[in-house]
Amino acid sequence: MRGVSRIPVYRMMYAKVGPARYISHLDLLRTFGRAARRAGLPLAFTQGYNPHPKITFAAPLGVGISGEAEFADLELAEDLPVPDVAGALAGALPEGLRLLEVRQLKGPGPSLMAMVDRAAYRAEARAGVPVTGEKLEQAILSFLSRPEILTERKNKEGKKNLYDLRPGIFSMSGELADDIIKIEAELKTGSTGNVRFEEVLGAFEKTSGIVLRGKCVLFRSGLYAASEKEKMLWPG
Amino acid sequence: MDFLDQILPLVKKPARYAGGEWNAVRKDWGTVQYRAAFAFPDVYEVGMSHLGLQILYDVVNRRPGVLMERVFAPWPDMEEKMREHSLPLFALESRRPLLEFDMVAFTLQYEMSFSNVLTMLDLGGIPRRSEDRGTGGYPLIIAGGPCAYNPEPLADFIDLFVIGEGEEVIGELLDVLVEMKGQGAPKRELLLAAARLPGIYAPAFYRVLYHADGSFRGIVPTVDGVTPGISKRAVKDLDRAPFPEKPIVPTTEVVHDRIMLEVFRGCTRGCRFCQAGILYRPVREKKPETILRQAANLVKNTGYEEISLTSLSTSDYTPVREVIKSLLDKYARQGLGVSLPSLRADNFSVELAKEVQRVRRSSLTFAPEAGTQRLRDVINKGVGETDLIEAASAAFREGWKAVKLYFMIGLPTETDEDLDGIVRLARAVLALGRKAGVPRGRLRVTISASSFVPKAHTPFQWEPQAPLDELRRKQGYLSERLKERGIVFNYHDAGVSFLEAAFARGDRRLGAVLARAVDLGCKFDGWSEYFQLDRWLEAFRLAGLNPEDYANRRYAYDEPLPWGHIETGVIKQYLAQEHQRALAGLVTDDCRTTTCPGCGVCSCLEMEPKFAGGEPYPGL
Repeated sequence: MRGVSRIPVYRMMYAKVGPARYISHLDLLRTFGRAARRAGLPLAFTQGYNPHPKITFAAPLGVGISGEAEFADLELAEDLPVPDVAGALAGALPEGLRLLEVRQLKGPGPSLMAMVDRAAYRAEARAGVPVTGEKLEQAILSFLSRPEILTERKNKEGKKNLYDLRPGIFSMSGELADDIIKIEAELKTGSTGNVRFEEVLGAFEKTSGIVLRGKCVLFRSGLYAASEKEKMLWPG
Repeated sequence: MDFLDQILPLVKKPARYAGGEWNAVRKDWGTVQYRAAFAFPDVYEVGMSHLGLQILYDVVNRRPGVLMERVFAPWPDMEEKMREHSLPLFALESRRPLLEFDMVAFTLQYEMSFSNVLTMLDLGGIPRRSEDRGTGGYPLIIAGGPCAYNPEPLADFIDLFVIGEGEEVIGELLDVLVEMKGQGAPKRELLLAAARLPGIYAPAFYRVLYHADGSFRGIVPTVDGVTPGISKRAVKDLDRAPFPEKPIVPTTEVVHDRIMLEVFRGCTRGCRFCQAGILYRPVREKKPETILRQAANLVKNTGYEEISLTSLSTSDYTPVREVIKSLLDKYARQGLGVSLPSLRADNFSVELAKEVQRVRRSSLTFAPEAGTQRLRDVINKGVGETDLIEAASAAFREGWKAVKLYFMIGLPTETDEDLDGIVRLARAVLALGRKAGVPRGRLRVTISASSFVPKAHTPFQWEPQAPLDELRRKQGYLSERLKERGIVFNYHDAGVSFLEAAFARGDRRLGAVLARAVDLGCKFDGWSEYFQLDRWLEAFRLAGLNPEDYANRRYAYDEPLPWGHIETGVIKQYLAQEHQRALAGLVTDDCRTTTCPGCGVCSCLEMEPKFAGGEPYPGL
């Protein structure tokens, strides 16, 4: 082993907006793989029956939700300077996938999936019935004061069971601009528990008397580790 | 907030409607003179797998002053949302409604997509009938593709049909249309100018004559300047023809999610049921250097993991071996694979498959089409039983564990003995797998049986389709006999094949049936979850017609045919002669050999077969 050798892994922060927000999680892997090929990057592949490029994501993003600061790791077969990797890849991504920042990982550390603990979301929708900022604030406070917020989930066999969302809601706030309701929330994300923003909004709508007209436009604005919120998922 | 973005999260696979894919072309709407939409009357994943779309999209968008966008049939869940919110059908690139385009160009790949053509017009707010679009600034509705070779069932709805290979004629057509638009010409004048181009059929200028009993008597021009027969257009030299080297790369998985690199057009094998084999004559092979150059650009421009060498019969491509070797030498290290879409049932093909498929993950597919040598001779499928047995043995020997065999049932002269032949072959192949030591749990022989559909312009165009009940009986007959561990039997809804046959040999009267069927809710008829035979039968009844008169009737040699005015270049006498030879059990040689069977296409089109040289196919 040469002293300088390390596995070249590049951590990418990217946006998934516009038409790209409709790319499913499974398709996203393929899309990044093809973009990296077009960029001429020397991909590293998984071993085995059906090799695929070594790209891992922090947390799946629901189809239709805009991601404003998503994270993925890309492993290459060669150690290349960060600006080269970032420049080549940025020019090969389809509309709506935008590379925001790339850093090379200095050494082994926890995977993105192991790191991610929470995510920040935002919903924008028109109010279905007239509402004041005060009323919205009150409704959120009373929503958060509930000891448990139960929602119905289906397990893999299609069986319904009840799940308490409350422990997974770290914060929630709302504001009103003209007749647009904006709701922000920070929710538990990752393998040790996962709360979907749509579930929270659904439960909120059901009990609060706040009616969101039509479908909300949803954003995930950031992904965070359990500690050191300001660093998002960047390594130490 | 874009309204569409509020609807898309509510439908399945919204990426179908989102656009923005790599290599999609979005031209500035305001600065072009002419705007066309390529319309595929099926769902996005099917349409985006169609090479013809990529070819025409590329050709038109390369042209300054003209743009081409794409539109697909929305899946019924999306259709429902669009109707609920009065959202008109839109093109993916600009998200503008179809009504704002100058032209909507449909491709007709299979008869069972016709209902979706009307649905798409309805959703676009465009009157269905050509005659109702005379004024009002509606887009010109044109159609091409294999089903345009019998255009009559759609003649009420389509303004212009393009007969033949689109890239050969689209430039001339656009010249005329752009100029006429500049002059503000009325629709009739514009149609007439277009109809003067070779390969363009404008149904409005032809009258259909009927016998006293209402049956078809002929089609005649009603104006000067259009010809009684419309001859197909074909590219002379594929090496010099445009080929899309920057195809659109979908972000969602489509049916053919790989580089589609066409290596030749046409097929010389002469299977008598095969319409593509007639329509795409003569054979035109690309030179290996063209293929390798295009492959290099495609790899660079798409990022795909696989190159599929496409054609009607890729193992027939003369230098197939050297091209595969060159591609693998160059790209295998980058993790790129090469694939062959169709294989002949012979040893050579298995060797090719072995070269390209290092990992034996998928099954190998062969198409013997019929169960006995007698019937294979009738259809001129030049595959012998020993070829098939050798091919299957080689496949198992080389590590494949699953083999698929495609058959057709209801072929002319077929008896139960021929069906027994299918059963016998299935068991023989299964036994080979066992003998080769394939573990019982993994050994699989899949038998697929489709129902024969007599197609216009083929030697079997006069033949009746077996009655629906008889097709179902044959399916049941096979199903009972193929219940064996290791054998899987698949067959399609015979009702679909029955309707396909009615439309494949239909005349202009079927337009009324089609319109009724769509009103009754028929759509996505190629999809078993949406196909409803009873609604189609009701539509026929309402129009006062019988599908059996089209599907199950023997057409006479001297009878005028509804597609008789459309010329493929293959002469009718040749088709009749091939039909006679079929009934006599006589095979006709491949025209790659020295003897020309005299189909007439080369003299009609002033072309000749083009072969790329190199080592010839060893089967000859």
